[in-house]
Amino acid sequence: MTAGRFWDRFLLPGGVWLLLLFAVPCVLVLALSFGYVDDLGRAVYATDLDNYSAAFDPTYTPVLFRSVLYALTTTALCLLIGYPVAYYIARYGGRYRNVLIALLVLPFFVNYLVRTYAWVALLADEGLVNNALIDIGVINDPIRMINTPWAVIGGLTYGYLIFMILPVYGSLERLDRSVIEAGKDLYGTPLQTFLHVTLPQTKQGILAGAVLVFLPSVGDFVAAQLLGGPDTYMVGNLIQDQFFAANNWPFGAALTVVMMIFLSVWMVAYLRSAARDVRGAAI
Amino acid sequence: MSPSAFDKPRFLRVFSFLVYLFLFVPILVVILFSFNTIKSLNVFHGWSLQWYQEFLDDPSLRESLFASLEIAFATMVVSTVIGTALAIGLVRSRAGWAPGANILMLVPLVVPEIVTGISALLIFSQIGIALSIWTVIIAHITFSISYVTIVVRARMAAISQEVEEAAMDLGATRWQSVRLVLVPALWPSVVAAALLVFAFSFDDFVLSFFTTGEDLQPLPVRIWSAIRFGLSPTINAIGTLMMVVSLTAIAIAVVLPRLFGRRESGLKVLTAGEG
Repeated sequence: MTAGRFWDRFLLPGGVWLLLLFAVPCVLVLALSFGYVDDLGRAVYATDLDNYSAAFDPTYTPVLFRSVLYALTTTALCLLIGYPVAYYIARYGGRYRNVLIALLVLPFFVNYLVRTYAWVALLADEGLVNNALIDIGVINDPIRMINTPWAVIGGLTYGYLIFMILPVYGSLERLDRSVIEAGKDLYGTPLQTFLHVTLPQTKQGILAGAVLVFLPSVGDFVAAQLLGGPDTYMVGNLIQDQFFAANNWPFGAALTVVMMIFLSVWMVAYLRSAARDVRGAAI
Repeated sequence: MSPSAFDKPRFLRVFSFLVYLFLFVPILVVILFSFNTIKSLNVFHGWSLQWYQEFLDDPSLRESLFASLEIAFATMVVSTVIGTALAIGLVRSRAGWAPGANILMLVPLVVPEIVTGISALLIFSQIGIALSIWTVIIAHITFSISYVTIVVRARMAAISQEVEEAAMDLGATRWQSVRLVLVPALWPSVVAAALLVFAFSFDDFVLSFFTTGEDLQPLPVRIWSAIRFGLSPTINAIGTLMMVVSLTAIAIAVVLPRLFGRRESGLKVLTAGEG
């Protein structure tokens, strides 16, 4: 047995598992998206395009558009919030860096449902935030916060912020300090140095973070369900409805495929860089 | 923001502090109100354990808790073995299809979970397997394999093949060199990956939601149904207990590698090679 062959065996269990239980099922989703529901309510495989024309029906296009809009806003917010924090820790964290990062990661090991639920309690009309604002006399009547688009976007930002911070922090940490010093000599002001030296050097981290926040945000249905209302429904809610309420699996599958087409550009770009990076640092 | 604000630690320090507050306040609120004496989520009246009592006195919730623990344990064992093997194979193998396996391993990490959940649901219904905690376990394993592989591979990449070759020069067979040299070297990352997967599986909602049966549902699925009936301190109590379980797993994941004598790798593992 040659050395090469020996190592190939290690790939087999994982490769076969992922092929049969991930790749094949994904193909099934694609196949079922061309199917229909028969009179008995069963999903039947076929070669219809009806589900796709339905997905682009004016009833549903706003939901698709809204999902992308919310996810993009979430990504932008995560960058605006996450970059300064990552920058602070990388540059000024000193020997507390690891502790500071661990503290940031900690909340993300709390169940996502529970974290989102926490915001429901905070933002409700009679929730803690409104009560506190009324108590200190800032407002007289509760402000409507829950069931608004911003509640949903806020929930998503809270949910996925860490996926922006970690890659950005990674790229900031790898950044050579002497380059910044050189930049200061060259450009003078800190802002110029930041814009011309630091920012371009961390582009990779920002892109990785953007993808890692954007992808799960588009498919999320928890935030919109708990913090939003019918007006803030996202494509994830629509898909979930097809499987659990409307019992129209083929249409749910078609919506999933449409969503994946929207996401594929981002995914391919990300996978290409991740596949090259053996350390897997970007994830 | 003034032009130079970005280079001024004071602005950054205040900003970062506010972000930490933003991250922790909601969680602290959940914990606080789990100890409330009254059924209120906006007025704290006094300390009691009654909501924990209520949770643990409910036989079906208790069963869900045990189901979640079983799922997490089974997922941890299977995915750690398969994922570690995959990590070793991906670094060492020169097979023509190894890059394909690499892509296949990376995709589940970037596909939204709802897609993975639906795919699993479809394959189970296609083969005719009834949904139960077994289907949940299978779905969790599929996702977790990739995670284990990423964590272990980060360590694997730092290990020189020469060490195994030296072992073989000394008379070890290939398998022995893997068992006696490679696996012990990878061990801290394997243990950490296992515990992270345990925490992930225990907390997972979306995959469980799509693949669980009606009879016995994992805890997060129960939380989901409960939230839709309205807020209740019992949910806070369940959430707080779940937090304790996953944070314990994470704490062990961080501490164990240090006991193995590698001071840095613990925190590194927490962030999958990022920190």
